[in-house]
Amino acid sequence: MKAARIERVKRRVLREAVAENLDVIRGAHPRAVRPANRLSRIWLRRAPYLLVPLTLAAYLARGSGGEAAAPVVRAFITTPAALRLPLAETTTSVERVTSAAFPLAVRRVVLDAGHGGSDPGATAARVSEKAITLDIGHRLRTLLEREGFEVIATRADDRTIALKDRARLANDSNSDIFVSIHVNAIVKYTASRGIETYYLGPTSDPSLTQLAAAENRVSGYSLGDMRKLLDGVYADARRDESHELAAMVQQQLFTTLRASDPGLENWGVKRAPFIVLVATDMPAVLAEVGCLSNEQEAAMLARPEYRQKIADALFHGIRAYASANDGPKKKGTPNHG
Amino acid sequence: MADILHVGIDLGTSRSAISASNGERFVVDSFVGWPLDMVAKKVLKREVLIGHEAVSNRTMLDLHRPLERGLLKEGSEKDVEAVRELLKHLLRLVGVNGKIDASNVRAVVGVPAAALRTNKQYLRNSMKGIVDSLLIVSEPFAVAYGLDALLHTMIVDIGAGTTDFCVMKGRYPTEEDQRTLTIAGDSIDTQLLKLIEERYPQANVTVFMVREWKEKHSFVGEPPARVVVTAPVKGVPTEIDITGEMRTACETILPPVVETMIDLLVRVEPEFQERVRNNIILSGGGGLIRGLSDALENALKGVGGGKVRYMQDPVFIGSDGGLALAIDAPEGDWEKLTA
Repeated sequence: MKAARIERVKRRVLREAVAENLDVIRGAHPRAVRPANRLSRIWLRRAPYLLVPLTLAAYLARGSGGEAAAPVVRAFITTPAALRLPLAETTTSVERVTSAAFPLAVRRVVLDAGHGGSDPGATAARVSEKAITLDIGHRLRTLLEREGFEVIATRADDRTIALKDRARLANDSNSDIFVSIHVNAIVKYTASRGIETYYLGPTSDPSLTQLAAAENRVSGYSLGDMRKLLDGVYADARRDESHELAAMVQQQLFTTLRASDPGLENWGVKRAPFIVLVATDMPAVLAEVGCLSNEQEAAMLARPEYRQKIADALFHGIRAYASANDGPKKKGTPNHG
Repeated sequence: MADILHVGIDLGTSRSAISASNGERFVVDSFVGWPLDMVAKKVLKREVLIGHEAVSNRTMLDLHRPLERGLLKEGSEKDVEAVRELLKHLLRLVGVNGKIDASNVRAVVGVPAAALRTNKQYLRNSMKGIVDSLLIVSEPFAVAYGLDALLHTMIVDIGAGTTDFCVMKGRYPTEEDQRTLTIAGDSIDTQLLKLIEERYPQANVTVFMVREWKEKHSFVGEPPARVVVTAPVKGVPTEIDITGEMRTACETILPPVVETMIDLLVRVEPEFQERVRNNIILSGGGGLIRGLSDALENALKGVGGGKVRYMQDPVFIGSDGGLALAIDAPEGDWEKLTA
């Protein structure tokens, strides 16, 4: 009887192994990590957290003569696609669901050292953005791994990697957060130097559109791909998470680096449509950790000790975000969708 | 119809093994090297060197270890070429392209789980055309299959570049059932080298020497004997005692391994947790560290206790599992899995 059961299980796992390989041959996403499935599973698992407050909210709204809440409740309990409502609808009808309803632990971090290979990014007399971001990425990786995080780097050396491939690596690796490291250059205002951290969102600031366009150059996406990517993505569930991560990273960067450079300005947390933020499935931020167009800052960025400070600050920001989201792990609740 | 040869290959970060249905089994070091220049080529009289031969002649070679840290580096043509050379070499050892034609070979290749997680398509493309049909699976899964340990079992495969964890729940493992740490044999080597250099700054020691010492003398907990090795100090072969350093270096892997093991355990459905705890299987070269299974069992006492077994034949445990998969896969499936 036992042998028959083992044979049955063997046949099943073998069939599943073959099916997964056939998916790869056909170019489909692996069964276990198809992003849509993954998101669906997260939503299904968290549905009770949502249904109770939302149903209550809808009931109260009806009771007070309001009708607005009903469509929102339907939207939330159908599919993840329903999340892609215009921002105004999700924010005004009922009390917003905060990220506390989705306490997913952070274990796997994607580090994206901006630019590389034939794309140097911003340059100054002795340094290029691609070299600085790679070095900070290496230093940050060491710190994160020492703390027990799993780290996946989009590039480990000086090579050209399309933004599409960076996003694909992040998505395929089923990672928890994505941190892209860049260095600013504002050629019109060389006296300025500051720190800023971005998360995904629309912007009406033409200078930010210009910056996003510059960083999005080596994307590898077609116009058709972009439309699909941008379709409603600004309102998706990971926006709040990304904002929280961006805020923690920015705070650490500014407080740490200001100590070394009193003239450093805090340019804050901002929204912009960088491709790596658009195309990734997980909470994602892009940190502009310095400003190469400023001569004094370029000199500091050329120093390994200063780059270590940047890596330290990024590490503390990521760790603060991870700690804030780590509640259920201690209780043994599954965190991965 | 010509006879079909089924093979199971364990493509490891440190060693790779092959088990074939004709009874042949071989293991080689996962190193591939190309002569650096014309002089080296003339001395070595070969286009490419593989395994121990490559390590021994490393000063004359552009040496590659294609799955270092468990990943095949995307975009690195040399690493892809190294994987292909390694596979071809393993197949040659069991008779492929001698008596057996590559078009009659059906291969199951087990790779570190991390390599599969990042880019399955790339991995598959890089192995294309070497055999007739190819099935790629994660290494701990191949181990579990070979041992019939498919239900309520945890495989902890401590290799060189990665430590792979996999909980078998009677289904093909998903992302949620697996974890990979880059803390493994290589990180012990690095740590041991650092500690020896700190204590014996005059000694001239390389990572290759340290690896060899680790493979002979590794342990955690109480030392079974003093570890005394010979290393050149200012050119003079000198005996040095590295007992403390060996213990410290080997014990660095304990906290992350224990933490990951327990983290995976608590994610198992509560009614099955005890069964999984009592069915933990250590595989891979790291499992040879003396005292490791006892240390892991001690750590499990905090969550109700458990049993950690170590398989006696760690070298071929993965490739034998792959061979079992290759033989069991139905003919119809192999036709679809053309490489």
